[in-house]
This record gives sequence, structure tokens and C-alpha cells, in this order.
Amino acid sequence: MALSEPAAAAATFERRVLRSAGEHHYLRVWLELPDGGARPSAAQFKQLVVSALRELHGEVGAALPVDVLTYEEKTLSAILRVVSSGLVKLWSALTLLGFYQNRRCAFRVLQVKPCGDWIGQQ
Amino acid sequence: MVRFKNRYVLCEVVSEDPQCRQCIEDRAVGLAVRDAIGRVHGDFGLACCSISFTVKYLNAYTGTVLLRCRKDSYRLLCSALPFVRQLESRNQRYPCFLNTLHVGGTIRTCQKFLIEYNRRQLLLLLQSCTNEEERRCVQKSLLRCSLTEEQCLSGNEDDDDDGTETD
Repeated sequence: MALSEPAAAAATFERRVLRSAGEHHYLRVWLELPDGGARPSAAQFKQLVVSALRELHGEVGAALPVDVLTYEEKTLSAILRVVSSGLVKLWSALTLLGFYQNRRCAFRVLQVKPCGDWIGQQ
Repeated sequence: MVRFKNRYVLCEVVSEDPQCRQCIEDRAVGLAVRDAIGRVHGDFGLACCSISFTVKYLNAYTGTVLLRCRKDSYRLLCSALPFVRQLESRNQRYPCFLNTLHVGGTIRTCQKFLIEYNRRQLLLLLQSCTNEEERRCVQKSLLRCSLTEEQCLSGNEDDDDDGTETD
């Protein structure tokens, strides 16, 4: 799977596969917007994720149950939750998203977990 | 044995507008189906299904269409067919929908199914005939396409032709 590193942390990649994966997968993502323009609000962020899914996977992809559990406008980092069967679609859609309001952007996926007990930790 | 396997989807174009028949051509149908796949399954689905996608056979009189796609992506194609709402050609748009009749692995199986299906449709048409002239025409077609004892051994190909070309 794709390797993604947070800009400041050490560059390690770990993959642990849990046998009893639950029905949701949780992704910690960071939206990289290099120009210093206006930042998207929570609703605009969700709209961005859904539009990425719609572009790559059509109406079926846009109807995928994706939730933005937490979103910080200052750091542009968020935790997304998706049904496990839709993880590949969501991740690929986020990878291939290149523009937000005609500005270059990129989604960096920092962590993917099948269980949600680390949501409170930063 | 390693080869590319295809799936052939047999559908029927149903429209209320009688002028839709002149619009049923392979380019128009192919574009409409591709457009529907693009809407429903996005860029990924469109690319997947377009690998080996063609309209293999088309019959404007009966509205029968035979589409081909790869075996790996025939489910994407089949799930997008109900979203075809109109056919467009020469700047004319006609509302219609596609009815999926059969999905087969080869053209031959689809042809066999189509022959049987047309025979059954002829019987149904006979029951719903309104005037005597129509009844005579349909009865003539039915007699032409059913086998008699002597034809059974020799004319299997003739039978196929009758089956697929009869209205």
C-alpha cells in the first residue's frame, strides 16, 4: 500500500494486519494546501472528500458512507471513517485528488486503522 | 489456458416514442452506455469497462443490442445499464430505457437465447394481435421459424437466420 509520512515525524512505515477487523476503517489524513489561501470549513472539507469520490468512482462512490469524525481547520487534519469495504475506493480517491477550488492540493494519509479507539489521541 | 474472457450482454431498447427506432445505431447506443457508466462508476469504472467494450450486434427493428465487455467488469456495466435514459443521435434525443435480457460468455449462447426469446415473443404478439392482417403476418412468421420433420436434419443454419431476422 502507499507509503505516507508526516512531514515532521520520523520516516517509518509499519503495517499491522488485524484478523478481527471491524466494519469501519479510520483514516487520519492531512490536506496539504501549499498556497496560503482560505481554508475549507468542515462542511467544505466533507464536500471535497465526496467530490473526490464522485470523480473517481461516480455516483456509487459518492454514496459511500464516509464520515468526518474530527476536523481541525488550523492544521487541516482530519479523521475519516469509512465502511471497510469502501476503504480502497476512498483511499484511491483521496490520492488522486489534485485540486481544491482550482488550487493545487494533496491529501496525505498518515494512519489507517480498523478500530477507532485512538481517536482522542493526537 | 490463458486468454481474455468476455461477457456479452443482450439488451432490448424500449421506448414509447416510435421514432426512437431510427436513432438506434451502434455509435449512439455505445455513447449512451459509456456516458451512463461514467456517471455511475466514475473515471475508474469508465476506464475498466471501456477496455474491450463494443456494440457487437444491433437490430433497429426489434431494438436488440448486444454489448461486449471484459469478464472482470461486466458487473459494472450491468449495474449502469438502468441509468441509460435517452439515446442521442444527429442532435435528436429520445427517452428510452434498456432491458437486460441475457448475459452470456459467447456470442453463440446469446444468439441461442435470442432465437428462443424471439419465438416466445412471436407467440405473445400473436395473442395480442388486434386485426386480422396482423394476425396473418405473425402466423406466417411463426410457421417459418418452427421446424418440421424434414427440415430438422438439414437446415439448422436456416433456422438460425429465420429466428434472428424475424420481427
